Amino acid sequence: MPVKEGTYGLLAEFDTPGALVHATEAARDAGYRRMECYTPYPVEEAAEALGVVRNRVPLLTLMGGIMGLTTAFLMQTWISRWGYPMNFAGRPLFSWPAFIIPTYEWTILFSGLSAAFGMLALNGLPQPYHPLFNAPNFRQGATDHKFFLCLEATDPRFDVNETRAFLEQFHAVSVVEVDL
Amino acid sequence: MAHGNEQHGHGALTEPKTLPASLQAPEAVAAWRTRALIVAAVAAIASLLFLFGGGADHVMRAYLLGWMMTFSLCGGGLCLLMLQYVSGGKWGLLLRRPLEAMTRTLPLVVILLIPILIFAKKLYLWAAFPTFEAVEEGLKSKLLTEAQAHALNFKRPMLSPMSVIVQMVVVFAIMGAFTYFLNKWSLEREADPERGSQGSYDRWRIKFENLSGIGVLIYVGLLTIVAIDFIMALDVTWYSSVWGLLFLVGQGYVVLAAAVHSAIRLSKYEPMATILRKTEQYDLGKFMLGFVMLNIYLAFAQFLIIWSGNLPEELPWYLNRIRGGWWVICTCDFIFHWVIPFVLLLSKDLKRSKSKMLALTGWMIFARGFDLFWLIEPNFPDAARNLHLSGNLSILAYITVPVAILGIWMAFYLTTLMSRPLVVVNDPHTEEILEPEHAH
Repeated sequence: MPVKEGTYGLLAEFDTPGALVHATEAARDAGYRRMECYTPYPVEEAAEALGVVRNRVPLLTLMGGIMGLTTAFLMQTWISRWGYPMNFAGRPLFSWPAFIIPTYEWTILFSGLSAAFGMLALNGLPQPYHPLFNAPNFRQGATDHKFFLCLEATDPRFDVNETRAFLEQFHAVSVVEVDL
Repeated sequence: MAHGNEQHGHGALTEPKTLPASLQAPEAVAAWRTRALIVAAVAAIASLLFLFGGGADHVMRAYLLGWMMTFSLCGGGLCLLMLQYVSGGKWGLLLRRPLEAMTRTLPLVVILLIPILIFAKKLYLWAAFPTFEAVEEGLKSKLLTEAQAHALNFKRPMLSPMSVIVQMVVVFAIMGAFTYFLNKWSLEREADPERGSQGSYDRWRIKFENLSGIGVLIYVGLLTIVAIDFIMALDVTWYSSVWGLLFLVGQGYVVLAAAVHSAIRLSKYEPMATILRKTEQYDLGKFMLGFVMLNIYLAFAQFLIIWSGNLPEELPWYLNRIRGGWWVICTCDFIFHWVIPFVLLLSKDLKRSKSKMLALTGWMIFARGFDLFWLIEPNFPDAARNLHLSGNLSILAYITVPVAILGIWMAFYLTTLMSRPLVVVNDPHTEEILEPEHAH
């Protein structure tokens, strides 16, 4: 596998969530799209400023639920009707009311698991390496008291000098270039 | 952490909104009331045609359905009002005035019950055969089966005309007391000289909590009595221990739908336009989904237990509702009552859309009535396992009579709604609800 080289992006550090949100909104207005905010706790305005309004977790949850529903129902149907046909109190072999509760449980189980693992997968986790860990101030502040905005180099609008000048106008504590 | 109050651009609303000068219900409410009365009058005239066209039985049964709906809205409103006092939360603040208005329809609900008590003989075996001797007579003349005679004698302490009247007096007296205090204190809270202070908030919150906590508990018992006396006892031989709970959840279902419907309709005008935010509407939608789920859960649990037990005492109740054409109604009930609200309420967009929630909540009120139709009509020998329209057109009274009763109830409800400001001011949540929300 070839070693990737070059710049991952420019990381701006802020002391307050307000400054972060302001810079993020300005960056979006300026046409940047490949960017991400990093905050020690959830800042809803930051997600808003990034334009993150939708994700695919609900869809994955629904699909998981439908999968659980059909799996459980068809499995019980097969077991009772063909696999192990047994006479319970003279009822028909295909006694669907008895299948509903396990079907219900499986629907919930599968949708819950799909929601949890779908969320992790869509977040790109687990991720043992991330270029931002190359920035010392990120390592120290991102989980504690600092708010970061990273404009990524893959963005067509990205230009090391121009983007740096753009970020510096927001009075960031620092703007550092992060290697891949 | 300072979070949510930072100044940032984009023209985002960061300033809290201010309440309009007048907090009274908009004038449109009076127009809605007129419309409700017109609909009620038309439906009542149609019902009279059925009544004098030989359909008195159906009119009576449909009347019971309509009354049960009004009771659900009034009693369920009381229960949900107490629940929101106990649980707290901003959603409760939005619905408090509509729910209070529902509880104050109690006098109308009591008056509407009187015809049912007068004509109880047409509906209930316990009223037609009130004594041991009457039951013996009924057995001899083959008007009663052995099972019915046994059940009537065994259940007489609860199911006899005098006993039911006493129960109703107790039920409505207790409900009236809770309604009286909750509504009286609500006005006193607004007029508190120390209003707006933490001390005032805490004092009133605790006062309401103490009354409401015990009130919810007592109400479950009262509702169970009403549901048994008037719906379950239509078939005197049958019993189900989850019956009261089933009606409790059904009331939550219909009351929440009606209250959300009211709030959204009112939000076209001030002052509701200022206080109904998408966030709380979304929360209420999730709450409704909970009731939709719990409702089918209990209804199915009752069916599964009886189906598994396979006992001749219990099973005919379901067979009467499944065979002989009722399968269609049963399937529609499942689809109307559960599938449609469940599937739609899964959507986040729908829960946040005013017009769609308006349509869905209206549908849910209809679906609850449809469910009651499936519960009530097959109790009677002419309808059990025999659903038919030909020669039986008066069954359509199930549409006209409940519409008439609900129209009258609605006019009364809107009148009580107009009598108070729509926004509660002396509550810490009022300030929170005026804050701008995140536009997701």
